[in-house]
Amino acid sequence: MENSVVSITNLLKRFPVGGDFFTALKQINLKLQKGEFTGLVGPSGSGKTTLLNIIGGLDSPSEGTVTVLKKSLADTSHNERAELRRKNMGFIFQSYNLLPVYTVFENVELPLILNKVDPQERDKKVTQAIEWVGLSDKTKSRPAMLSGGECQRTAIARAIVHEPTLVLADEPTANLDAENSHHIMNIMVKLNKELSTSFIFATHDEKIMDYLRRIIHLDDGQIINDELIDRSKSGG
Amino acid sequence: MLFKIAIKNLLGAKLRTWLNVFVTALSFFMIILFSAMYDGMREHAKQVTIDTEIGGGAYWHPEYDPMDPMTFEDAHSIIPRDLKLLVDQNKAFPVLVSQASIYPNGRIMPVIMKGITPEQNIVNMPTQMLVGHEEVTIPVLIGRGMAKDANLDVGDAFTIRWLDADRTYDADEGIVVHIMDTENFKLDMGHIWVPLKKAQMMLAMEKEATYVTYAEGLSVVKNKHDWIPRDVKYLIRDMEALIEADEPNAAIMYIILLCFAAMGIFNAQVLSIFRRGREIGTLMALGMTRTRVVGLFTLEGGLNAFLAAIMTVILFGPLLWYFGNNGIWLGVDYSDGAMGIIVEKYLIPVYSVGLVVTTTIIVSIIVLIVSYLPSRRIARMKPTDALRGKVTV
Repeated sequence: MENSVVSITNLLKRFPVGGDFFTALKQINLKLQKGEFTGLVGPSGSGKTTLLNIIGGLDSPSEGTVTVLKKSLADTSHNERAELRRKNMGFIFQSYNLLPVYTVFENVELPLILNKVDPQERDKKVTQAIEWVGLSDKTKSRPAMLSGGECQRTAIARAIVHEPTLVLADEPTANLDAENSHHIMNIMVKLNKELSTSFIFATHDEKIMDYLRRIIHLDDGQIINDELIDRSKSGG
Repeated sequence: MLFKIAIKNLLGAKLRTWLNVFVTALSFFMIILFSAMYDGMREHAKQVTIDTEIGGGAYWHPEYDPMDPMTFEDAHSIIPRDLKLLVDQNKAFPVLVSQASIYPNGRIMPVIMKGITPEQNIVNMPTQMLVGHEEVTIPVLIGRGMAKDANLDVGDAFTIRWLDADRTYDADEGIVVHIMDTENFKLDMGHIWVPLKKAQMMLAMEKEATYVTYAEGLSVVKNKHDWIPRDVKYLIRDMEALIEADEPNAAIMYIILLCFAAMGIFNAQVLSIFRRGREIGTLMALGMTRTRVVGLFTLEGGLNAFLAAIMTVILFGPLLWYFGNNGIWLGVDYSDGAMGIIVEKYLIPVYSVGLVVTTTIIVSIIVLIVSYLPSRRIARMKPTDALRGKVTV
């Protein structure tokens, strides 16, 4: 439990559909350690995004307990979960979800503003995060002026600028070509190593499997396989 | 923090923001202009009445009731001593009122004949035009509306018939010596004005009068016999009543305009939330609480109105100033009194401090409410739905 970032026991998630219920997740038992680089892998509708949302406190379980960063989500209020996300989590979305009226700098700056970091330190951290993702020449550009890869790099910078313990990425490479996908994954591997940030991906993109050190296979809302991969020899 | 983000969102949205702000500013402009026009109309009506008719007030013969022409026959007597003193000092002038009939172009028209001191300068009437017509039997001053109704022009002669103090009908020839342009239809429609001495002679009421109008700033005299002092407040009470009766209309107009402004802001807010569902979800995912997101959108609505207020001053301020100085051409002539109140051809809006302060306070409250109402839906929104852009407003 000491290094545990996420701990899930007997998770069940049902959604009301019409007059009935659709079970999206069932019997999920999972423990993720600090610094892990984990993928939730499975076909569409397997429950990856739902699981990611529950871990992120954006959705709540129907049954079971979910403990994230030593906090049981069932015992926390909306505001406490928001605080948990604000301080300890970063999100990366398939469609980037950058704020269109903000520049790259301002998008990356937003989590720090929400965390009330003072302006001088904010500038320093934003500049550093943008450097990590290699967008120093695009700080004043708006999302509409960026390529898909650049948008996702901005989203990564936004997710890690406040140095969270956990980054949740939902299909981060789904909208990108192979070259950009590898570029993005290399950035995240580097951040995982340098900042010891835990990453959880929801993906069915084969291109990124080679980067994952733990792959949890989901199908029909259940974990069907959980494999640890030793990449120490390949350097990944 | 919210303020900074709200400003960024507003300024970042560029055209969308400025369009919303422009529409709101236009509503503000219309609210202020229409309300000021109402105020201007009332203020003008009062001012014209005081300026052309009331002066500082009047002393009425106890029998005189301007609303009842049947009283005119008995409403006359020698002017009390102190009032006569005021008249002699040119601080007041007497008016002798009687019923009469005129026969312009073979037609008969009942009129109110008023004898007035031609040399008076207490009210703004061109009574001096009655001076110097010794060759004319009865020199007559009429208004433009009366001239039109009776089809009379300067120099036209017509028969006047009246009942004198001895209850004898008499008649003679009157000649129009001047046609006055006055905004006060009460001096114009159904009225003929003759020199006081001529009227006293015609009616066999030497040195008598029906009422005495005095200049502004005078206090009530002691020796007024049984004549009744009527101050400005009393003399404009009918107009005040008319204005008061018109208050609901003004209020309805105000509410309609306010509703337009409110609908504009409400619509902008609803659209904004609908369009920015994914942004709301992202903000929640980044750790913004629902209350803060609601606060952010409400603040954006409020800032929208604030920018609109600034735009109103910059964009429409010169226009309001121009109208305030030059008036607005109404395009309709109400000088016949059809409105029941004096309405100028060029309506000059009056921007009182009360109007601006009241409008600002009311609009601010409305803006906050209509900004908050759609925004509070965010509080019920599931972040996962918002992230998918699944927003129902």
